[in-house]
Amino acid sequence: MSEKWKNKVALLVFTVPTLLFFTIIVFIPILQTFQKSFFDWDGLSTPIFIGFDNYLRLFDDPDFWVSLKNGLIFAFVLVVYQIGLGTILAIVLSSKAVRGRKWFKTTFFIPVVLSGVMVSQLWIAIYNPEGGLLNSIFAALGMDYQQAWLSGEHTSIWAIAFTNAWQNMGILLVLIYTAIKSIPEHLYEAALIDGSSFWHTHRKITIPLLSETYKFGLIIAITGGLNAFQNMFVMTNGGPGNISYTFTFMMYKAAFRSNEYGYGSAAAAILVIECLLFTILINKFVAREKISY
Amino acid sequence: MIKRLTNGTLKYGSLLLYVLVSLYPLVWLLFYSFKDNEEIFSTNVFGIPKEWRVENYVNAFQSFDLIMYFKNSFIVSIGTVALTVLLGLMFSYASARMKWGLSNAARIYMTAGMFIPMQIILIPLLMIVRSMHLQNSYLAVIVPYAAFQLSFACIIFYAFFRSLPKEIEESAAIDGANVYRTFFSIMVPLVVPAIASVSIFVFLFAWNEFLVALVMISDNALKTLPLGLLYFQTQFSSDWGAMGAVMVLSTVPTILVYLLFSEQVENALTVSSAVKG
Repeated sequence: MSEKWKNKVALLVFTVPTLLFFTIIVFIPILQTFQKSFFDWDGLSTPIFIGFDNYLRLFDDPDFWVSLKNGLIFAFVLVVYQIGLGTILAIVLSSKAVRGRKWFKTTFFIPVVLSGVMVSQLWIAIYNPEGGLLNSIFAALGMDYQQAWLSGEHTSIWAIAFTNAWQNMGILLVLIYTAIKSIPEHLYEAALIDGSSFWHTHRKITIPLLSETYKFGLIIAITGGLNAFQNMFVMTNGGPGNISYTFTFMMYKAAFRSNEYGYGSAAAAILVIECLLFTILINKFVAREKISY
Repeated sequence: MIKRLTNGTLKYGSLLLYVLVSLYPLVWLLFYSFKDNEEIFSTNVFGIPKEWRVENYVNAFQSFDLIMYFKNSFIVSIGTVALTVLLGLMFSYASARMKWGLSNAARIYMTAGMFIPMQIILIPLLMIVRSMHLQNSYLAVIVPYAAFQLSFACIIFYAFFRSLPKEIEESAAIDGANVYRTFFSIMVPLVVPAIASVSIFVFLFAWNEFLVALVMISDNALKTLPLGLLYFQTQFSSDWGAMGAVMVLSTVPTILVYLLFSEQVENALTVSSAVKG
């Protein structure tokens, strides 16, 4: 066999298994989800083509609008908490005067590595209306905020989203912190001479230079919020009623509880389109120019 | 001077405040795993247990098959890591070190998985698994986990392979090593740090994953820890102390793994975020 042939064979040996595996398990199923969303299908018998009926049914379903709203609230909470608070903590942490940075960083990251089910269960106890940690803190402070966080119509989705934001804030913190550390020192020296204040300096220098990181952070926070499922599944089972539903929850319920696989696929397809839309918007409006120092 | 002092206090103050927000719920969990319901919710909500009720842990062990769930999660996680690392290394080596026309396109195709939520493919995936009779085998979750983690692994491995000097393969070729030997005995050992990062990240992912496991695994004997926790919650919902004990026990391994390898986890995270969304 010639050298050229050997190299060609080697290339196929190295790439084909991975590409094939990824295509069969990830790529083709995505297409199938879209395809099946146009069918009436119980998962066993032959699917019947029904055009856009599943989508029309979705738009008529009160669960759909609640899910849409909840996904957006969830995304909003993640963005504010993880990117907002993450930025503040990362800036404070990166200042030279602070010692024990590694320890702080590790501590803030610990909730990230826990299982989402366990964290959800922990927060069920924290939100417990009868003497849970949160209500007890309000009582101890003499504040009249005690309530049934998870079953309240106006608090439920916020409380659930907060749990997720609390757990995963460390991811954004580490990313933003690392990005700040890569900003060259000399950019700050000029500001120091000008006598500009701590927060002013960071607002004018640090934050604009983080736009690439923010782009990535916004994508994971927003798509993470839109995709929310396990927190509500464990904490409220979507209820009471449908007040903590999301698209993934609708898909799960339709497909795996009522065997309406076509309808479930339509909910999943809407979710993909929604995530794609946000990713395109973020790419369009955040960090359009390449950063160079 | 005074300004610097207050500045310092403010900085440490805000950081320590968040340490409290971040850790106290976990410490609170540790405390309540030794309490009874009355202490948890009324007589002693915040503090150290008045009486350390080890029986919560005994109850937990008796009514919760912790060893089985640990074993299942361990097999699933190791299987996922092995498959992801092997396929990811081979593909990334080809895309970073070999010259071929579609190299760039194939690499971008593989990274797309980073931005696709797993639940999208859940329905077709269940059909694949059913038709291949993989239901109620560990492969029913290992296969989708590995497929989705491949994107992340390829990004990290590609970055590492690219950073190695070109001369390595040249001298290996002069020594007469073929491409497979060069790959396994020269290139792979050079990217061990990347393998460590990817392994830990993927391990933690597989250990904690919930939704795919929920849909794919129905046989109780194959359930992973998150499913076990859910089962325990529905069965023993009124015994908060024992529930807390189960939660503590299930959490200790992940925290230990993280504390031992926190550097690798953070590195993997930062490298993967450099990919264009």
